[in-house]
Amino acid sequence: MKLKLFLILSVFLTEGKGFIHWLEHNLLTCPFKSYTGLDCPGCGIQRSFVALMKGDLVSSFKLYPATIPILGLLLFAVAHLKFDFKNGAFFIKMLYIGVTLIIVINYIFKIFTNQLI
Amino acid sequence: MSEEQLPGEEPKKNEQEGDFSSETTPESTNLPAEETVVPVEATSNTSQATGFPPSNGGFPPPPNNGGGFTPNNGGFGGMQQTLPNATIVLVLGILSILTCCCYGIIGLILGIVALVLSKKDRELYATNIGAYTESSFKNLNAGRVCAIIGLILNILYLLLCIVLVAMFGFAALSDQDAMREALQNMQ
Repeated sequence: MKLKLFLILSVFLTEGKGFIHWLEHNLLTCPFKSYTGLDCPGCGIQRSFVALMKGDLVSSFKLYPATIPILGLLLFAVAHLKFDFKNGAFFIKMLYIGVTLIIVINYIFKIFTNQLI
Repeated sequence: MSEEQLPGEEPKKNEQEGDFSSETTPESTNLPAEETVVPVEATSNTSQATGFPPSNGGFPPPPNNGGGFTPNNGGFGGMQQTLPNATIVLVLGILSILTCCCYGIIGLILGIVALVLSKKDRELYATNIGAYTESSFKNLNAGRVCAIIGLILNILYLLLCIVLVAMFGFAALSDQDAMREALQNMQ
């Protein structure tokens, strides 16, 4: 029942053009970017996600390198909470540290190569 | 400090479990007999005296289980609960970094909430170690580490925002062309 409702709603929302098309034209604007014109540390993740949905791994990585690790982290966390792996908590910790490192390095890289504006 | 205490606690726990298992084996043999007595006599008195887990099963809040609950766990095994907030702390800790837009305020709130919840649960775990599962405690610690990292990053980002405002002022920040000029003058 819920699935049917969701399918009907998604067809309505996307006007029959597909979910990705709808997603591409309804991106949320970052409040920091809309106010100052500068990128925030999370800017680019939605464009990157859309590119990933289209199957374009390279441009997804170029737009925002941390998207794929973040998705992996979320999926692994859900799987760990459900199935309770043996060293799951440790892997989540390591993945999380990796994700934060990628985000911070990406932002510093952006600052020093003047890609913020 | 807390990290140093933890390895010290684990051997204690093992010793306690070893002691209790040796102590409680006669108890556990006695218990079925007491259980049969329970319906005959006043149920509340006997269940409180023995601390038998199935009778406590109807009362989830941990304070009821305190003290009298731990000795029995060595004998029974497999009656361990998960920590009440472990999953929530893990989820909040992970989410605290993903909401790094919005000037770092949402992530800050999530991180602080996760830290407070994890502090409560760590105290719970320290008061009776045998009552909660090891894996949920690991989850709790992972969530705590995630929350701390997320909190630090969010604070840094908030400071960056404040520094930007202090350097350029609100007027220049909201005007994109003026901002661009100011940045170009800096270089």
